[in-house]
This record gives sequence, C-alpha cells and structure tokens, in this order.
Amino acid sequence: MPTADGELAIETRGLRKTYRSVRGRRVGVEGLDLQVPVGGVHGFLGPNGSGKTTTIRMLLGLVRPDRGTASIFGHDVPRHLPDVVGRVGAIVESPKFFPAFSARANLRLLADGIGAPRERVDAVIDQVGLSGRAKDRYRTYSLGMKQRLAIAATLLKDPDLLIFDEPTNGLDPAGIHEIRRTMRGLGDQGKTVLVSSHILAEVEQIADTVSIVARGRLVASGSVAELIGGQGGPAVRVGLAADDVAIATSLLTSRGLVVRREDDALLVDGADAATVNRMLGEQGVWAGELTVRRADLESVFLGLTQHEVPGGRDHRGGRRRRKEEARDTTSGAGAASGPGAAVASTTMGEDA
Amino acid sequence: MRLLRVELRRLWLRRVTWGGLLLALLIAGLAVLSQISAATPPSEREIAEAEEFYAQELEYWEEHGEEDVAACEESEADDPDPAADYGCDQMEPRLEWFLPTATTFVPAPEMREAGTDGIEPGDGDDPRIAEIQESIWSGWSGIGAAGEYAAAFLMLAFVVGVSFVTAEQSSGALGMWLTFEPRRSRVYWSKAAASAAGTLPLVVVGWLATAGGIYTLHAVFGTVGEVSGEDWAEIAGFSVRLVAAGAACAAIGTALGVLLRHAVAAVGAAAVVLWASVAFAFSFGSAQRWLPTVNLTAWLEGGTRYSVAEDVRDDAGVVTTTWTTEVVSATQGGLYLLAVVAVLTLAALVVFRRKDVS
Ligand SMILES: Nc1ncnc2c1ncn2[C@@H]1O[C@H](COP(=O)(O)OP(=O)(O)O)[C@@H](O)[C@H]1O
Ligand SMILES: [Mg+2]
Repeated sequence: MPTADGELAIETRGLRKTYRSVRGRRVGVEGLDLQVPVGGVHGFLGPNGSGKTTTIRMLLGLVRPDRGTASIFGHDVPRHLPDVVGRVGAIVESPKFFPAFSARANLRLLADGIGAPRERVDAVIDQVGLSGRAKDRYRTYSLGMKQRLAIAATLLKDPDLLIFDEPTNGLDPAGIHEIRRTMRGLGDQGKTVLVSSHILAEVEQIADTVSIVARGRLVASGSVAELIGGQGGPAVRVGLAADDVAIATSLLTSRGLVVRREDDALLVDGADAATVNRMLGEQGVWAGELTVRRADLESVFLGLTQHEVPGGRDHRGGRRRRKEEARDTTSGAGAASGPGAAVASTTMGEDA
Repeated sequence: MRLLRVELRRLWLRRVTWGGLLLALLIAGLAVLSQISAATPPSEREIAEAEEFYAQELEYWEEHGEEDVAACEESEADDPDPAADYGCDQMEPRLEWFLPTATTFVPAPEMREAGTDGIEPGDGDDPRIAEIQESIWSGWSGIGAAGEYAAAFLMLAFVVGVSFVTAEQSSGALGMWLTFEPRRSRVYWSKAAASAAGTLPLVVVGWLATAGGIYTLHAVFGTVGEVSGEDWAEIAGFSVRLVAAGAACAAIGTALGVLLRHAVAAVGAAAVVLWASVAFAFSFGSAQRWLPTVNLTAWLEGGTRYSVAEDVRDDAGVVTTTWTTEVVSATQGGLYLLAVVAVLTLAALVVFRRKDVS
C-alpha cells in the first residue's frame, strides 16, 4: 500500500532473526515482509512473542538481522541508519533512561548527543507536562511519567517517523487515553507512527493501516476497513422465542436473506436491523432482541493469529470465525465503553 | 568531539565517579596517617633510652668482649669455607646501632647502596640491577610509601571505567542512546576515551594528595632528607607514568566491561589475574617477565627486577638453589600496557559493533 509516489516509511523484505544462546536457538522473526506507508498511524499487531520488538530493534540497528533487508524512508538500515536516524524517534519496550539521573539531565545528554539546542530540552519536558518533576531522578518516576519522558525524548529530534513499542503497557486508562491521543495527533500532523501492540482494541481506534504478525511472519496487512471487509458485511442478530425460530427462518429466507441459526437466535447476513424488524413485524413475529453485529478487527486478528496458515500470507485464514471471536456492539458504537474494558477483553497469551 | 564531551559529562554525573574521587582522597588520607610514625624523628626520650641501652651494652662488651671475639674467631676457623667472614672484628657496639632513625621523604643515601636489600649484583649481572636498587623506589622512604598506594588509584580508575559501561548495559540506557547515535564505533571510542580521560582526576588527585601529604608530613617533622634534582625529576616522571597507567587501566576497564558485560565479572576477572600473578609469581619462573604486575611496576618505577630460582643437583646429589635476578625495563612495561589496552580495546570494539542490544 505505497503512497502515490510509492514512498514507504518502513519496508522490510525477508527479515529474519534467530537468537542463539547456550540453551539453543529461538526464532524471533521469520522472514518478515513489512510495508508501512508514509503518514498516519500504522498498527503493528501480534500476540506476545510474535517478533514485534525484534523487528523494531532490527529497524533501529540494535539487533543484527540474520537475513533480509530493511529500509527506513528508502535508506537501507542498519547500513545507512545514521543518515536517517535523525528522522526517527523510537521507544522500544519500556523507556530506558539512566535511572540515577534527573529527567532533565537525561534529555540534555541526548540533546547534546545529537546537537539539539539545550532550550529544546525544557520545551519538550514542558510539552509532555513534566516540568514540575524535571529535576527528579528518573528512577523515582511512575510508569506513565517514564512513558511521557520517552515521548519527550523522541520529540527532541522532531522526527518524521515515530516508533512506539507497546506504549500503553502497564498504564492506567487515563494514561492509555493520553498516549493514544498523542499518537493520533502525531499521525494527523502527517508524521508516520508505527505502534506495536498485542492488544487489538488499542490500535483499532487510532490506526489507519495495520500489519498483523504471528510467529515472526506477516499474516495480514492493509487498511482497517479492508481487513474488516474481508470478513463480510455486518450481520443482524435476532433473538426470538423458541417457537418463533422456525417461522422466522422461513420468512426471512423467502425474502432472499441468508440466515444462520445461533442457539435461540438467528444471524442475518448483509441486512440492516430496520429491514429485518419490519419483515418480521409484518408477519406478526416479534423479535425479543435485535443487535447489529459488526465484524471487527479483533475477530480478524484472533482468526489470523490463532489459526495461522503456514506461509502466512493467506488473508482468508481468518475466515474460520468462532463464536467468541466476534464482538457484539450496539449499532453505531464502534468501541468498547472504556479503554480498560477493551484491554481486558483482548489481551492475549504467549504465542510461542 | 561532541560524543566525547557528552560521555565525559555523563561520567561526572555518575555517583560512582564522585564516590571514586572521594575514595581516592580517603586512601590518600590513610596513606598520610600511616606514614606519621615513620616520619616522626626520634624523641628525646627515645634517644635517651637508646643511649642508656648502648651504655649497658658497652659495659658488657668491656667485660666480655674479648671472650666473644675469641669464640667468634674459633667458629670462623672451623668453617669449611676458607673465605667465610663472621665479622668478628666488628663486634664492638656502636651508638648508631641503637639510635632510632626517622624515615626520610626520599631514601637516605646509605639505604640506596646496592646490596642493602640483600641482593648483591655480581660481576656478570645486569648493571640495571644496581640502578634499580639505587632508585628512590627501593628502600624505606616517604615517597616509597606513597608509591605503594599508587596502585589503589589505578584500581579506582579501572572500576570506574568498568561501571561506566556495565551500568548502562544493564539498565538498557545504552539501547536508548544507540537510537540517537547508531554509529557504534564512534560510540565505543567516545566511551573508551571518556573513561580514560575522565578518570584521570581520580588518579591525579589521589596521587597528589598522597605524595603531597606525605611530603608535608616530612617537612613538618623536618625529616625530608636531601632531595636531589634527580629525585624530583624521578618523582615527576613517576607521576606522569602513573597518570598514563591510570588512563590505560580505565580503558582496560571499559573494554572488559563491554566484553564481560557485568561489572562483577570484569572486576572479578581482573582481581583473579592480579592475585594469581602476585601469589604465584615465583612459580612462573622466567615467565614472570610477562606478568601484568611486574610490567606495571616496571613502567611505574622505571624498571623492576624479579628473581628466578634454579635448583642445581651436584654429583653428590646435593641440591643447591641459586637465585638469579632479572630486569624488566620501563620500556617493556609501557609497551606491555599499551599492548593490553590495544588488544582488549579492539576486541571490545568488535564485540560492541556486532552485539545485539536490548
Ligand atoms: N534477547 C533475546 N534472546 C533470546 N530470545 C529472544 C530475545 N528477544 C526476544 N526473543 C524471542 O524472540 C521471539 C520474539 O520476541 P519479541 O520480538 O520480543 O516479541 P514481541 O515483541 O512481539 O512480543 C520470542 O520468542 C522471544 O522469546
Ligand atoms: Mg515486545
């Protein structure tokens, strides 16, 4: 999905990394092809251990790939990373500053290291709302403050590409909301934001495009709309009295609708709730419950990452939906009620 | 060198570095304190006691001296070695045997004569042996005592050099730093240079406080002795070589920190090597020439010597051990240090360039 002029913020081809230790080898990333278009927020999704952090480390030259190539804004990395690093701000996993130095001392070192003016330090500290605590040791910071300081550090460079690796891990709902807003804001400014997460709900709301990885491979990528579209249109779930189920089925089928049985309810594909309601009502069948069920990214995500197809490029792999993989939403409301709820509903276990 | 400046600033933002400086001063204080009694001239009471004791001995000598000399000469005559000298003609007590002496800032002339340490350079021996024996670093003296503490400042520089890199490796701050400056070689050089140059204050301050403190002590007690221009030149030379060794030790520390990753491992490895080369020095025989401690001493003191034992079994099966003294020059010591720094630094650079940082 390159932009008009074909420029990609990030591109990897066949990227592979195996960690070797005394206990043996462990594949971190297995031939990953990733494409991140310039501008907007790109979600980098995958369960724990699927190789997101490893990929980001390779992009930043922290980890050396065994095979494959990667580029940022067209510059081969890690070879030409120095040419482009000034345009990249990144927070890999949890922020890691010098624990015994103050926030200001930490940022000053970084600013001096890249030749940024000292005034920038206080400006970015102010920008993330840490002015009052700038003189405190980093070690005394709460997790949310650490994240904010890390964001301040990336802003020292005024980067075009921001990479956030699971930025909301461990944050409270307010903190999560704030980080999301920051990322969306950066995306709206025309910057490219790559945000990795194992929590789908976190990314779904702010991402323009997503890539989904499992076991070190890309299993799907595209715009959020495309991925959901691949799952078919919305469905209406009609809750009925047990006696009415058979009648309603024949009624709706006779009108050309596709109907599936689901316990004491019917699932009607490709219709809107009002139409279904009217059809049933005209024949004196009254639905006890009527909900619009939209396919969402989460079902795509779960389908792809749990039933991963070898080779990893088959987007149809997500077709085999299970009941719990789809989330009921009342018509129109796209998200869970609060960030905390969203987190709880989609946190996943170790994949490896 | 922007990176070097940043690393220097980071070095001196660290509490370990300031702690090291404090420790250097503490060590200097201890060194001065421990030299107090040696630098103090004998008190009148001590002199009076010595004179009294001398008088008693003299009295005994006047009564029994002739018997003692006769007994001595008899044993001398019985000795199978015709060249044996029991010193029977020097048995009369002399006052200076009993007078307490103060240690002077530089060794007293009679302390610097070859042979005072029990090693008589033979005819065929290296003339440098005598030179080393006559240097201000042999024999008891204030500056000699100060010199004993110099190694402590080198260790401080080493430890600070180690923790300068191991701390940021374990806290993960190195990863953050590399996302700002990914050119690993430059990053490594800046760290190694900052650690070598930045720890110099520890060595300089520690050494100046020690040597200066001890000098002041001797000056106050009036026991400086006669310090020649040559002595001052040697002290200045030692100081310069010590500072260079400090830079080397810090650079070695930084390299070992990168190679072994953990401060405990790096400091432990260095400690084991140093301990082994001191504790088992003699079992290395002629290979003592390549021991780090020997070379470091040679570099600092302008040359050093070591002894090699050789067992010779004669026809009768009697084993005699002969000790020969070998010399290691300051030049060798300096080249040795340089080689260790170069090898470890290059190895660390290769590792640092290639390693995965998390
Ligand atoms: N330093 C490392 N040493 C060994 N294995 C590692 C290391 N870092 C990551 N891995 C392994 O690589 C795989 C991918 O990890 P990671 O990239 O951290 O995944 P994610 O960020 O998607 O959770 C996991 O199986 C993990 O155990
Ligand atoms: Mg991760």
